[in-house]
Amino acid sequence: MATSARQQAAQKKITDSEFQRFRDYFYRKTGIQFEESKRYFVDKRLLERMRITGHDSFNSYFTALRFQASGEELQELINVMTVNETYFFREEYQFECLVESVLDEVYSRKKPGEEIKIWSIPSSSGEEPYSIAIYLLEKWPKLDEIDVEIVSSDIDSKVLARCHQGVYSKRSVQHLPSRILAKYFTPLPNNNYQICQDLRDSIKFTQVNLNDVAQTRRYRNFDVIFCRNLLIYFDDASRRRAADVFYDAMNSGGFIFLGHSESMSRISSLFKVRKFPKAMVYQKPLV
Amino acid sequence: MGLKKERNLDIQPVATYERQSTRDYAGLLQQLESSDPSKRRWGARDLANYPQAVDPLLGRILVETEHPVREAIFDSLQQIGGPAVVSGLIPLLRNEDAAVRNGAIEVLQAMPEDVAPHIVELLNDSDSDVRIFAIDILQQLAHPQTPQWLLSVLKDETHINVIAAAVDRLAEVGTTDMLSELKALKLRFPDESYLQFAIQTAIDRIEGA
Repeated sequence: MATSARQQAAQKKITDSEFQRFRDYFYRKTGIQFEESKRYFVDKRLLERMRITGHDSFNSYFTALRFQASGEELQELINVMTVNETYFFREEYQFECLVESVLDEVYSRKKPGEEIKIWSIPSSSGEEPYSIAIYLLEKWPKLDEIDVEIVSSDIDSKVLARCHQGVYSKRSVQHLPSRILAKYFTPLPNNNYQICQDLRDSIKFTQVNLNDVAQTRRYRNFDVIFCRNLLIYFDDASRRRAADVFYDAMNSGGFIFLGHSESMSRISSLFKVRKFPKAMVYQKPLV
Repeated sequence: MGLKKERNLDIQPVATYERQSTRDYAGLLQQLESSDPSKRRWGARDLANYPQAVDPLLGRILVETEHPVREAIFDSLQQIGGPAVVSGLIPLLRNEDAAVRNGAIEVLQAMPEDVAPHIVELLNDSDSDVRIFAIDILQQLAHPQTPQWLLSVLKDETHINVIAAAVDRLAEVGTTDMLSELKALKLRFPDESYLQFAIQTAIDRIEGA
């Protein structure tokens, strides 16, 4: 009886051994490592997925998960195991790495008259590309000596429209120093803030589907790419295709930032790892 | 100098980037043989849309020296998929170049239905390295028969490295009905401390489940 299966799943606990088997598998598939401290979080979500999919034991659920050719259930699990909240200066150490290490190296290879190109994908609601722009303006003095072009793309045209508007909630800007908030944002009614026109004009927002070669073919000559917390939601084949797109969109020696739980080494061997003081970044090898 | 304004930014229309070579099948085959690695890579990527390109792509892997081009070839083969790709990749498991072998394994892992008919044959290959590669394929293969294939290795295999690889995978996918085989295996190899440890780990994982 379905109800009985649900009741059993609701009562069941994940044993230590089951947790280890799941943890090893999930790590191998996604690069996300759950510590013991996350046990309650993981167990709760596992039991919830067992209940939803009608499995009354971990073994039965894990077998279905592990051998499902479509990978659909793994994707569902990834969605519930990862929390994707975006806000200004999220994972700020990567922006610090950008202005303290990466851009100087890119700059040193540029000839007079050349510019630096940065691609931020997905745009989501725009916090990331605008954070990059603010970081450059505030913390990279060489911006006075070279042009920087920032392109930001998303598959969703609605979020691109929001990016253009540049209106954000208080929660979204909560990690910004008050000086930065006052300098680049205008307070609006309802505790919202709008980013200044000058910054809105500084980002080129475009719609693109990373899995569409015809669309991505025109993205070329980027020196830096930010693609954080997106590939985790792709299946293996799509991840590899995305890595191909990035590789072909970058200049040799270009850098790509991924989310803290993502690893390019698990996706593709096209890039090499560069360890900088503030962050680990992937690099397209120099020719 | 500074941040460029949107009106001056320029994502070029596709036409700007059209290559001199044509993007039809014949043109792409030519590109695949170009002396310029970046053209070969683009040729390989675009050939993913042509199922008839399996043989030329497989042929190119054998002579290709540039890693990015090889990666594009493997990705396109994976995208095309099907029995012809699997049959063409299996011989690459014997290739001298580890990058070629690994590329083949990764693509095969992603094609469970087409690989399945070949697994038993691979697990019985006369070359122990190929048998280990077959187990590597099983590590990621999303096929319901995987545990049974691994179990068959415990029963029939004599090469210790092949057995160790199978035991390692069973720690993840093994079930309680396999415990007796694992325990029997412990008795078969009493002096192999690594194997004893691996088997006990698998038993503990399965028993604790």
